[in-house]
Amino acid sequence: MRRWWPWALLAPGLLWLVGLYLLPLLGLVPLSLSEPVSRFGLETVFRGRLVTYLEVLQTYGPILLRSFTFALVATALGLLLAYPLACAIRFRGGRWQPLLIGLVVLPSLTSYLVRAIAWTSLLGDEGPLIGLVGALRLAPALNALGVLHDGRLLNTPTAVVLGLTTNLLPFLVLPLVVALQRIEPTLLEAAADLHAPPLRIFLLVVWPLSRPGLASGLLLSLIPAAGDVVNPLFLGGPNDRMIANTIENLLLVQLQAPRAAALTLVLMALVSLLAWLQLRAGGVERLTLP
Amino acid sequence: MTRTAGPGAGGGRRRFLRRLGLAAAGALVAPPLLQACVGQGGGSGGGTALTISTFPLYIDPDEPGAPGSVARFRKETGIQLRYLEDISDARQFFARLQPQLAAGRPVAQDLMVLPSWLAVRLIALGWLEPLPLAQVPNARNLIPSLRNPVWDSQGRWSLPWQSGIAGIVYNVRATGRELDSVDDLFDPALKGRVSALLEMRDTMGLLMLADGKDIRTPSWEAAQPSFERLERARRDGQIRRFTGNDYQNDLLAGNLAACIGWSGDVAQLALEQPDLRFLVPQSGGVLWADLMLMPKGARHREEAARWLNWVYQPQEAARIAAAVQYISPVNGVQEILAQDSATAKLARSPLMFPDAAMRQRLHSFGPLSEAEEARWEERFARITEG
Repeated sequence: MRRWWPWALLAPGLLWLVGLYLLPLLGLVPLSLSEPVSRFGLETVFRGRLVTYLEVLQTYGPILLRSFTFALVATALGLLLAYPLACAIRFRGGRWQPLLIGLVVLPSLTSYLVRAIAWTSLLGDEGPLIGLVGALRLAPALNALGVLHDGRLLNTPTAVVLGLTTNLLPFLVLPLVVALQRIEPTLLEAAADLHAPPLRIFLLVVWPLSRPGLASGLLLSLIPAAGDVVNPLFLGGPNDRMIANTIENLLLVQLQAPRAAALTLVLMALVSLLAWLQLRAGGVERLTLP
Repeated sequence: MTRTAGPGAGGGRRRFLRRLGLAAAGALVAPPLLQACVGQGGGSGGGTALTISTFPLYIDPDEPGAPGSVARFRKETGIQLRYLEDISDARQFFARLQPQLAAGRPVAQDLMVLPSWLAVRLIALGWLEPLPLAQVPNARNLIPSLRNPVWDSQGRWSLPWQSGIAGIVYNVRATGRELDSVDDLFDPALKGRVSALLEMRDTMGLLMLADGKDIRTPSWEAAQPSFERLERARRDGQIRRFTGNDYQNDLLAGNLAACIGWSGDVAQLALEQPDLRFLVPQSGGVLWADLMLMPKGARHREEAARWLNWVYQPQEAARIAAAVQYISPVNGVQEILAQDSATAKLARSPLMFPDAAMRQRLHSFGPLSEAEEARWEERFARITEG
């Protein structure tokens, strides 16, 4: 009795993952080692062509690097925004807490595609943001800082990172709010009674106890950001493409399915490695328990 | 022909929003979804009797009190026409249909409008049906220069939908001066405010012509300087984007000062933005043709023939030409437009009816072998995709 029931509970989820995720992914392995018979046909022959991996790493390595850099910067930026926001919601939200959480989630209810397109008018050369920068005469400084590129925002790396940050913000805020909510207010009072200044309370009490939320937030935001396709397409320029754009182009435009498969597997491997490192650093139990 | 059929006055904002939506949908979401919905199950289900896939904004639209060609065709023939504006990038459209056509299974489309270079590929692959030309008497209205063209020398597989010119589009207020050559696109003063087309033959054709190269028989070696020039401009940030139809949004939004674009688009856009100009450089413009093709196994040959015959009536072709302002393939359109004071100006446009001087400057991009094309496309993608 005891032996089988955990498996019964796991079965639906496992079947789902194996059937719709793992098997298709494994199917990419032989494809990535094959060669197409003709340019426009569907047939491929298995040739054990490992060199495809070398080729895609050599050709698209810089784009892989760029993707993870963008994702990292966007996540860091997201954290800077999310942490104070989560603290404010948790400790100062009061009865408005549900509403505030709702407001954090609200933008995600719009399709991310529509959001990216809306951003193109916000960030455009004649859009309100550039208008504001011009009115405040900030353009030279922002150009020097590399935030603006020749006075432009749209179709620059900055715009891509801003778009990514917007997308991942709720995934950082929500786990953080949950983690912070587990902190007993009495702990903070106790620390204050012992004459700890606010900064020490934060560093010694709030920060360590919120780290599980942080770990799951990072897991939920960094990895999807690295595989984003929409933001670089609409907000970036040709020098800001990310790896998912390359895979799409290889598959749908250049009709090079084996190379697309190889690059997908490389991306999956890197992402899995990242997740494993994060989990190892944080420990699985730390995702949920303070 | 009593109304101008121009999509202009009053509709500007709506059309702009619609374009934005189409650009998004065309790029990512709609085609797979549409394909999933109509890809199987046969055409007769749901009352659909004729399915056409084409590029957006490529026919006269419905206007208040004046139904467009699609609506009038439906009404006059009683044929349930499903008119899908779901092609934004011909290469991606090919990739969508490839699994079914390569496996010998029919697709949902009975007709599709695609560039001539893709028609050459589809003919060679045997993925097309010959058009039911016996049932299209109006095909005799085809202008002589488009009979037995290089892409379809027997004239069995295709009828042209429209032709057009790839050239330079610019906003004279943004550039601050008139442009007169391809070199102007590489002017440092326009850095980051220039775009080029993802349609390789148009962008490369224009650059190679500026280099004094022959594009009727394009060679890999002759293309290298143009590839390098394009790559450098992309790397330096001179070129802001590579686009399909969506360069129009950027022009109207003020993000672009100049770009490589298509003649008819500009004629339409100039109604909203009078500072726009279209330039066919002295070095030459690229003449292209989009063709109506029937995929293998199409189920509605007769209905398709009715459509082909309908759009090849000079009166109907004139309506479409007045709206899209490309080069109509139908004889007599110029005379019809000239008779109406509202469209008489169009009848004199050398972009719609190229005169001898203009014809001298127009060149078609010649065929590439399969192996050559793969090499060209890979090189081009390395430039456009970073």
